[in-house]
Amino acid sequence: MNLWKSLTTGCAALLIVSASVAQPGNQGKKGRPILTIPEVEKKDIICFALYTVHEKTLKLTAQLYPIPPGDTKTVRLEIQRDGKWVEAARTTVIEPGWTAPFRVNHWDDSKAYKYRVAHGTAATYEGIIRKNPIDKDEIIVAGFTGNSIQPAHGGDISRHDIVDNINKIDADVLFFSGDQVYDHYKHYAAWLKFGRDFGPIIKDRPTLCLPDDHDVGQPNLWGESGKVSTLSGAADGGYVQPGPYVQEVERAQTSHFPDPVDPHKIGQGIGVWFTNLNWGNIDFAILEDRKFKTGPAGRVPKQGPRPDHITDPNYDPASVDIAGAILMGKRQLKFIDDWAQDWRHAGMKVALSQTIFCGGAHIHGSANGRLHADMDSNGWPQAGRNRALAALRKGFAFHYAGDQHLATIFHHGIDEYRDAIWSFCVPSIANLYLRWWDPLEAGGNREPGSPTYTGDYRDGFNNKVTLYAAANPEKQPVGNLLNTRAAGFGIVRFNTKTRAITMECWPRNVDITNPASRQYPGWPRTISQFDNYNPPSWGRLGELTFDVENPVIQLIDTATGEILYTVRARGKSFSPGAPPGKTFLVKAGKNAPDTLVSKAAKVGGQPQTVTLH
Amino acid sequence: MPRWEKPDFDAALLLCLRLGAFLCFAGWTWVHLYWEGPYGILLWQEDTYRLANKFGIYWEEFVGTGAEAGFVQKWLAHTGWLYLACTVLTITVRKKSWVQMAALVGGGGLVTILAYAKYVASRRQLPMLIEHGGQVLIPVLLVMALALGVRHRLTVATAIVAVITTFAGHGSYAVGFWPIPGNFHAMTSMILRVDYVTTKAILHLVGVLDFVVCIGILIPGLRRPVALYAAAWGFLTAIARPVAGMSLSLNYWGADQFLQEAVFRAPHVLIPLYLFFLWSQPRQDVIPAPAPRPEPADSAPLPPVARTILLTNPNSVPTPRS
Repeated sequence: MNLWKSLTTGCAALLIVSASVAQPGNQGKKGRPILTIPEVEKKDIICFALYTVHEKTLKLTAQLYPIPPGDTKTVRLEIQRDGKWVEAARTTVIEPGWTAPFRVNHWDDSKAYKYRVAHGTAATYEGIIRKNPIDKDEIIVAGFTGNSIQPAHGGDISRHDIVDNINKIDADVLFFSGDQVYDHYKHYAAWLKFGRDFGPIIKDRPTLCLPDDHDVGQPNLWGESGKVSTLSGAADGGYVQPGPYVQEVERAQTSHFPDPVDPHKIGQGIGVWFTNLNWGNIDFAILEDRKFKTGPAGRVPKQGPRPDHITDPNYDPASVDIAGAILMGKRQLKFIDDWAQDWRHAGMKVALSQTIFCGGAHIHGSANGRLHADMDSNGWPQAGRNRALAALRKGFAFHYAGDQHLATIFHHGIDEYRDAIWSFCVPSIANLYLRWWDPLEAGGNREPGSPTYTGDYRDGFNNKVTLYAAANPEKQPVGNLLNTRAAGFGIVRFNTKTRAITMECWPRNVDITNPASRQYPGWPRTISQFDNYNPPSWGRLGELTFDVENPVIQLIDTATGEILYTVRARGKSFSPGAPPGKTFLVKAGKNAPDTLVSKAAKVGGQPQTVTLH
Repeated sequence: MPRWEKPDFDAALLLCLRLGAFLCFAGWTWVHLYWEGPYGILLWQEDTYRLANKFGIYWEEFVGTGAEAGFVQKWLAHTGWLYLACTVLTITVRKKSWVQMAALVGGGGLVTILAYAKYVASRRQLPMLIEHGGQVLIPVLLVMALALGVRHRLTVATAIVAVITTFAGHGSYAVGFWPIPGNFHAMTSMILRVDYVTTKAILHLVGVLDFVVCIGILIPGLRRPVALYAAAWGFLTAIARPVAGMSLSLNYWGADQFLQEAVFRAPHVLIPLYLFFLWSQPRQDVIPAPAPRPEPADSAPLPPVARTILLTNPNSVPTPRS
């Protein structure tokens, strides 16, 4: 029996020691982040608050630390009017996740108001609900992605530089495109940390956080309308974490969004949040390019060491463009179609989503070397990619995204190079995973003096793309963990008067208001709103001169009845672009294209004066 | 001669271990050669590069130029052949094949590296490391069974450690000592068609049972049914992967994606099954038995198997083998 005694004692000791010593809370060893839910005093129980205002509705979500048992779970939203705090709404904290979502209808967005979230008698958290900046010419949207907290990625370095810079430029909107949280099991703890880091800038301006793959607890996400994923890596499609976990994540990050336009839930009771935010005369489409997307595993022929990776440059791209593969999904495409035609209170349109509509990198930094194509990007499925771009370009939408860990500017093409929208993918706050844009051949049709890696390319899925800038990390990233890993953030200035869009790409720990500070090579770059649908092969219809400023104009193909585009013109005259050899119905109006202007307009047609009053 | 003491019964015990080792290496061979081994997390590190640098391998040789594969990619591609060799060795190895035995022990080292890579990738969750105990130890067990005998106490003790580590790892996750992996929830809810709350309750229950296995397998009166339960549960958790993931709508029904997940978990079934069969011998102490017969001082030493039986059943008298 000695054997059994020894084994029993030894194994029991192993179990007890391993269970007590290596608990997940016992972190903080060298190279590992400390991620705990701190115990706070009652007065500090409100961590931060996020809000949006859209069509006179304020939605604000306060994020609380855990409320001790016995304390009230009622939270109040108070607004300062004439120097006095007036209760505007109250709500009950939702568990799990400790979120307090408020809604105030008939919100007066013509003025700024101080607000405070209050809990009990001790805790308050103050911020400002801004006025709708419709009188500003320039709307500044700061863009972020990839918020690693791992020391190995520079994730333990303070975010104060970002907070200071955003305050200095007084950004109007904050856009976090995804991966605000990288911990796959402790979203709540990580989200509180995110709030402690960015709360000081989030509390005073509309903020949009799009949950991406890591936020919902998985390395990649092909949501397949809420399917359950069981394959390591999740390429079989669906969610790895259980539905309630995903719901908690979305409650924390998106419950302050404007109401979803099509709120029907998907599988596992997971909600949807695709919608639009109209702010400062800019109409932002908030898109979910992961939630409905088909997983590639078992659907496409194996082309590499992972179901979603293609390493063979000689593979047939058409072989993976399989019938039935979804990117945005019918519901969302319908929303984009409707959104692209609706120009009420909007002079410009911006699409916000997690990632870009192409394979935007060649080298992937986890020992995989050159990767021909990555199905985690929106370059796949190609048909879905083209449908999305075709819908977005009908509204001349500029695309703002992240996810790639590599900042880029692309001009996308569907049938020809540069016939669709532009995209700006922002760099990571702290870069978990390195990627490089490193084509083996020089790009076509490069701008004079531009680097050889710019120009026209086919991505790994044979999609047409034109690269204008890429902020590659250093080949051997050592030393300064943030900037050698090409960390940073983006700023986009939308000039609603001139319709200019200026993209800026900043490294970390520089003062972006200092003229001596330098952006990543290739930035800044300014384009026109109208560049988002201006194919090189197009000509111009006859110039239209209106009796009103900035009318909305719509072109409809007379042969097919399909809308070519809808856009708000700048000023009183507009020369619509259009493909040659076709005739178009032209409609126009002050805020909607409700007046017939021409029944058979053609490229090279005569100028026309239009009365809309 | 009782059934459990026949040489072919020992051969069946050995077959359990041989089959477990074969399937484990075969499954991982598929992963390595068809897909990719999980070593990126270990190789794509400055520390690893510095080590390579000491051997005269420089950055571009290490990670590749972008156009050409580097040391990392080549190494990853070649590892699968080592697994394939180990798979073959599990079939060919025999009692006196010392070189093959040494190679198989080295195969255990390969699985150890793999388990360590998965442990690092999991952000150093201890259960991820120890749950691979069965897979790490199965080639060692096979070698021990050949060299020492399937009934030798060291072989048996190693098998018990393999079961305990595997089940303690699973149990630590399922009970919630560490965050429950999403696929535990996913597989349970997919196969049993139950909601989140029920899934959590089921996982908690089976997690507790995992720890019951860890303890029960050490208790002589309980170990046999516990080993049978462990084998059954090991089988169910192994096939849960393909059952939950495979579908008629997928290419090859998804077999190339999911089947190996069950195959390389074969030791989770076959090690406890080996113990169950080993312990199928009735308890001799409750059977009327002849008085102990002292071993003559001048008699020849008993073979290892016989010694083991004597240690565990002092009243039993082994039948001499022919």
